[in-house]
Amino acid sequence: MVLEAKDICVEFPGVRALEHVDFQLMPGEIHALVGANGAGKSTLMKVLAGTNPGYRGQVRLDGRAVELRSPAAAKELGIQLVCQEVDQALAPALSAAENMLLDELGRPGRLWVDWRGVYGQAEELKRRLHMDLDVRTPVSRLTLAQKQMVLIARALRSNCRILLLDEPTAPLSAVETETLFGLCRSLVKEGQIAIVFISHRLPEVLRICNCYTVLRNGRFAASGPVTPQTTAGELVAHMLGTEMETVRPRVSRPAGDELLSVHNLSSRDGSVRDISLTVGHGEIVGLAGLVGAGKSELCKSLFGILPRSAGEILLDGRPVKPRSPGAGAALGMGLVPEERRKEGLFPGESVSFHLGIASLKKWSRLSLLSRKKLEQNARTQIEELGIKPPSPRQRMELLSGGNQQKAVLGKWLAAGCRLYLFDEPTKGVDVGARAELLRVITGLAQTGCGVLYASADPGELLQVTDRIYVLYGGRVAAELVTARTSEEEIMYYAVGGKAPVGEKGRDRFEAAKA
Amino acid sequence: MKQPRLRKPAAGSLMDWAAVIALAAAMAVFALLRGGSFLSPANAVNILRSMSITTIFAIGATITMAPGGFDMSACTLATVSSFLFASLFLWFGLPLWLSVVLTVLLTMVLYLLTMFLILLCRVPDMLATCALMFVYQGLGLWWTGGGAVSAGMPTPWEAQPVRTGWTEGALAIGASPWCILIMLACVAFAFVFLRYTRHGRCLYAMGSNHIAAAYSGIPVRKYRFLAGMLTAVMIAVGAIVVCSRNSAAQISGCDSYLMPSLAAVFVGRSVGGAERPNALGTLVGAALVAVLENGLTQMGVVYYVLPAVKGGVLALALIAAYGPRRRASHIAP
Repeated sequence: MVLEAKDICVEFPGVRALEHVDFQLMPGEIHALVGANGAGKSTLMKVLAGTNPGYRGQVRLDGRAVELRSPAAAKELGIQLVCQEVDQALAPALSAAENMLLDELGRPGRLWVDWRGVYGQAEELKRRLHMDLDVRTPVSRLTLAQKQMVLIARALRSNCRILLLDEPTAPLSAVETETLFGLCRSLVKEGQIAIVFISHRLPEVLRICNCYTVLRNGRFAASGPVTPQTTAGELVAHMLGTEMETVRPRVSRPAGDELLSVHNLSSRDGSVRDISLTVGHGEIVGLAGLVGAGKSELCKSLFGILPRSAGEILLDGRPVKPRSPGAGAALGMGLVPEERRKEGLFPGESVSFHLGIASLKKWSRLSLLSRKKLEQNARTQIEELGIKPPSPRQRMELLSGGNQQKAVLGKWLAAGCRLYLFDEPTKGVDVGARAELLRVITGLAQTGCGVLYASADPGELLQVTDRIYVLYGGRVAAELVTARTSEEEIMYYAVGGKAPVGEKGRDRFEAAKA
Repeated sequence: MKQPRLRKPAAGSLMDWAAVIALAAAMAVFALLRGGSFLSPANAVNILRSMSITTIFAIGATITMAPGGFDMSACTLATVSSFLFASLFLWFGLPLWLSVVLTVLLTMVLYLLTMFLILLCRVPDMLATCALMFVYQGLGLWWTGGGAVSAGMPTPWEAQPVRTGWTEGALAIGASPWCILIMLACVAFAFVFLRYTRHGRCLYAMGSNHIAAAYSGIPVRKYRFLAGMLTAVMIAVGAIVVCSRNSAAQISGCDSYLMPSLAAVFVGRSVGGAERPNALGTLVGAALVAVLENGLTQMGVVYYVLPAVKGGVLALALIAAYGPRRRASHIAP
């Protein structure tokens, strides 16, 4: 056994990210670390890489107890991490060769750079990894896949016994993924290196890995070898567990006339591909899928933020082409974006400022704002949404996450939209505010508005929606009726289970499970 | 739900008024030391007159900075505007009102170049206006044939100018009371526009969070353009006042107003806890600079040491306005 981690616990203020997790790694294996979003995979990786020095528990390397309290200590022991955001670890203006040897070039006590040596060693690494690039190119000109290779080369250059790859395939194309897998296989074949591989894409995991460990809500859920008999459904079951939250699906009402109908929509950047969907009046339609499946991008291209390359959007039967968020808002759409702090908040401004900002024309005459009307609007929305503290003058940055989110939603309520686009509306929101938000959203549907509700949490979708589209890789993988589906089924399609769209997919899913 | 009510620390609210306190303190000190000569009505007019030009340019900068923009080339463009004004009035002999209107319009046309670089080519404001500073400088000198425009000088094409001298009306613009009234009008306009209109609120929303403003349906590019055009008007007005006061359009005549006007906006940002460029704050900032200059001169501080003292007091005001907030940043994200 190369590495054994026992009883690892990590706590962040208010959150237990990892609780008594065990993890074992054998020499020469590719070990998959699997779990839903927020299960603690990346946290465990950070512990092993030494960037989470506050962990409790014991780590043994070759049977010897070690302390991983700093990145330097972890590197010294031969544990190398290739993180998800490759750009953070690279110096874009330096050449690929310099980036590969960055650890050595920065070492103190060396005044002159031996350029011939640098390029010679870089060429050697390039041959070893079968890389296809000029080592003298600046890193800023490389593709994502090439950057990743540079990082792997850097890891191998130093003493490397354990290579941690955090979602390495997420930004890669199919061909690039294949190249990476080839590399991983050849690395472990030499026997000195073990690889830990994090991925959301279960079909990939089943193809490349020898072993898996599943985490769920920060706890160890299951572990075992990957055999030809192992199925994605089995892993999904471990990811969700038996202690599934019992959720009561809301009483579905027959949808009214079609409000939104989208045909073969694709975005220019390729993150949304050939998506067709409908939302009826008074209907809440869910968008399921993992991070990066294209949920946010779909919302943004409907709202006019992301440029579209193909497809048609019909709103109440009329074709529309929003080219800016302003146009989207004018058509009666409202987007509650995922990244609240970056995309939704004006931190220094008051609650009343936020609640009025999307409908200023309503609160002004001849361009002059009416303070009274704005205040009145703020009071109405504060009461409607239960914003605490109930003071329109309060500065937004002093409110809790849940109340901030209510205010972001409130600006569209004040504007009176017909179609609401929610992107992870309960992210970073406490339980009480979450319940209130869901109540408001259900209320919106009852008044005849349409709602598109994107969330990576299947449980939440089962709770609020009438119908669910599951996205995978920017496409619709399945269309499900909430009353007749389950978390397991949503997860199955979200991690790449194949099915023809529609009811027929069901049988396929049942078959796969059996 | 129990949520600890976070209140701004008491020190913060005192610091909000740091610029005003500094202004009052400076006036008190000068009044004590110089007595009547500082407090006289004549000296008050003096101070207002000397701050009027800086304030007008600073109001232009305030409007550009409200939506998070920036303009380094404003005062270089103003020099071009003053060339235009002087040449329209002297060389072509246009009536005063027409010269003023044409100068404003032509400055707006020239400002389209700035807007082109920022909005269509998407060059960051700071870099675009840095480059344009040189472009405007060259354009202005090309128009005048490389010299200043003053009364009695022939045009670059060797023709005799229509007017041989400035009229009384033209010279009155740069003298009190007119220059003071023009300054107050600019401040009043910016105050109402930024604070009480829908458009002002959209500009502030952009300044607070550009992405959130766009996602709220605000046409951000149109509003950046609007802010730019209003700034161009302020630039032209300031240039006309400068030209009238000097009774000539001098080479680089307006360039030196850039830094004082930017300083006025930065000092004024925090006045009253506004935390954003605002008209009244800018007025206070400009007044602080002018009072210091006036009082120190009366105190007999030699002119070449003046900038150091002036800059020092400005730095103190800025430290008071920005320093403590950074320390409290773990409360307000």
